[in-house]
Amino acid sequence: MTWISKTITVLGGILLAHACYSAQEHSSLQSFRAAAASLTSSSTLTATTLPVDIAIETIVATFIIVLGLVSGTRPLRPIQWRVWAGKLEREGAEGFVDNEGEVNKDYVGNPFKNLEMRPGFVDVRRQRREFAEWVKGGGEK
Amino acid sequence: MAPSLLHPPSQLSPAAALQLSQQAPSVLQNSPSTINSSPLAALLPSSETPDLWIKYENLLLSCLRTGDDHAAHQCLERLVARFGNENVRVMALKGLVKEADSQNNGDLEKVLKEYDQILSDNNTNIPITKRRIALLRSMGRLSDAASSLVHLLGFSPTDAEAWSELADIYLVQGMYQQAIYAMEEVLVLAPNAWNAHSSFANTPCDDQVHARLGEMQYMAATAPGAASGTYEKSMVEALKRFSRSIELCDDYLRGYYGLKLVTKKLLKDAAKPAKDSEEIDFSLPDSKTIERLNELATVKLSEIIRRNTAQERGWRGYDKLEVAAARELLAEEASAAASIER
Repeated sequence: MTWISKTITVLGGILLAHACYSAQEHSSLQSFRAAAASLTSSSTLTATTLPVDIAIETIVATFIIVLGLVSGTRPLRPIQWRVWAGKLEREGAEGFVDNEGEVNKDYVGNPFKNLEMRPGFVDVRRQRREFAEWVKGGGEK
Repeated sequence: MAPSLLHPPSQLSPAAALQLSQQAPSVLQNSPSTINSSPLAALLPSSETPDLWIKYENLLLSCLRTGDDHAAHQCLERLVARFGNENVRVMALKGLVKEADSQNNGDLEKVLKEYDQILSDNNTNIPITKRRIALLRSMGRLSDAASSLVHLLGFSPTDAEAWSELADIYLVQGMYQQAIYAMEEVLVLAPNAWNAHSSFANTPCDDQVHARLGEMQYMAATAPGAASGTYEKSMVEALKRFSRSIELCDDYLRGYYGLKLVTKKLLKDAAKPAKDSEEIDFSLPDSKTIERLNELATVKLSEIIRRNTAQERGWRGYDKLEVAAARELLAEEASAAASIER
């Protein structure tokens, strides 16, 4: 998905650059013509506006860039409590990865896990015993 | 997916804990052994990040669990070198290492005395207080642990973790009413904790299962008339709590499991005639509602089991044992239904 959004953004950028270049060329051409006109005759300066196609190109380019950027964003996080909690339970860490496939740094799983784990009250001797038994039992999962 | 060192490791499987503690040499080697903690050094760019110390702490816990005492001591040394001997958290970790090192009851008594000594100097040292309670519980002195916990909660009543521990201590002692009370306090402090709702609901449910097994004889003996009333009341309460936990968390396996269990039991009991129901100040939902809840739980549980077993994307986060238990529950009911039909 990301390469599509990147291509769209680059395309929009090219269009925008082209529109800017056209506008710059147009204005320099206008000033050149005005200078040439003042040399040959003393006619009044005609007010020149930007051709409408350049204006349209600029607007279209801007929309294309915005489209590309928006389509490249990560899916939004749920903002409803139960949806978010359900996602946590259902997907675990997998549901909270960024574009590079890394789990987000602020992912902590169920934030109320501590109520069951109680790290302040950890019984280290029982944990050691259980681990030793697990190793003795062959260490299957 | 490899477990992260940034999360507390107590709930990991033995295999995952082993995997974590095997990272110890590389983590210890790749980070500097001492970090200058002077204020001037803070101005210079350094390799110190808050993550580093969380990593050390979690590494310490996993290494203690897997018996890699050498690496555990190294982690502890680094933490002490950075934060000093007087830091309360470091003190608790030091106590933890000593507990793990002690071979017999005499050593444990010694550690306990040290805790008492620390607490006599500063009796608001909460990490050490918690360690002392955990040690008492580990030594089998449950009532001492419970009274110390009540004392701790006396001066620190907003500690949800401690209330939860108290509920657990009461539960293993079979004091269900007290356990329920402590769990209610947890819910007051963390009203959105869906797992607390669920485990709270488990309490009265266990209560009834155990009451059936005769482990609640004390309650039945002191209040023979109230026995059936409390039973139904607990069931209604359990039903409510499981429903609430599902309300707080979509597709919550434990919530649906509990809902299934309770509605199944209620439907079975509904066949029996209810007695003195007008005296009791609670209302059981009518059997149609219960049946619909039962159906909902069945549908949801089978969906979760099916999609988790197929390893569908977005359904892989469930605990394997929990899924297996749910499958067993459904299979049990299916076989019971088949035997009735026959």
